Amino acid sequence: MMNAEQKRAWLGVVTGIACVVGYVALIPFLGPMAATGAFGLYGINGIAPLIGRKEHADERDRSIARQATLGGAMASYMAFIFGCMGTWFVAFAWHGQEQVSVHLVATITFVGGIVFYSVRSVVVLVLYGRHVGADNA
Amino acid sequence: MPEITNCIRRLRFDHDEMTQESLAVRVGVTRQTIIALEAGKYTPSLALAFRIARAFNKRVEDVFHYDVPIKE
Repeated sequence: MMNAEQKRAWLGVVTGIACVVGYVALIPFLGPMAATGAFGLYGINGIAPLIGRKEHADERDRSIARQATLGGAMASYMAFIFGCMGTWFVAFAWHGQEQVSVHLVATITFVGGIVFYSVRSVVVLVLYGRHVGADNA
Repeated sequence: MPEITNCIRRLRFDHDEMTQESLAVRVGVTRQTIIALEAGKYTPSLALAFRIARAFNKRVEDVFHYDVPIKE
């Protein structure tokens, strides 16, 4: 039986996969830029707090949530920094450009958010399935 | 292998076959946490360890065991 945190995590994983599938499916019809609209599906995660809001969370649930949030934040930060700096590397070193599209800023920020919620969801599901130590012991 | 082992399952049966749900309610956690504890998949906080021990009228060291030797 899944608890509320696991259900929210599955919602994050499923919507994340739906976004990527939708994006890839729309590219042939709309092109790579317009197809990014498929990532709007990730907004479905906005209903996540409504799942099991009356359910009691104990210290193990809170510990897993904390560790998953930390993992998501670390991955998101890495994705954001690599995205920002990698853009300059690709533009300057490979294409010899001195400017990049302003759309990249929004895209990289958005990808950072997607990475946060996706990694957090995966970490939640992994931690519920393995040994976890209380971090407030 | 977990460093801290416990005998919660045996103590439950020694206390009139107390159910996991009953123990969970008494110590204020979910049944899933009791299952994880008994399976050695979760190491409880010190406060929870005390609450579990008190639920059985035992000392913490009677319920939880730390067998790793201290390095000299």
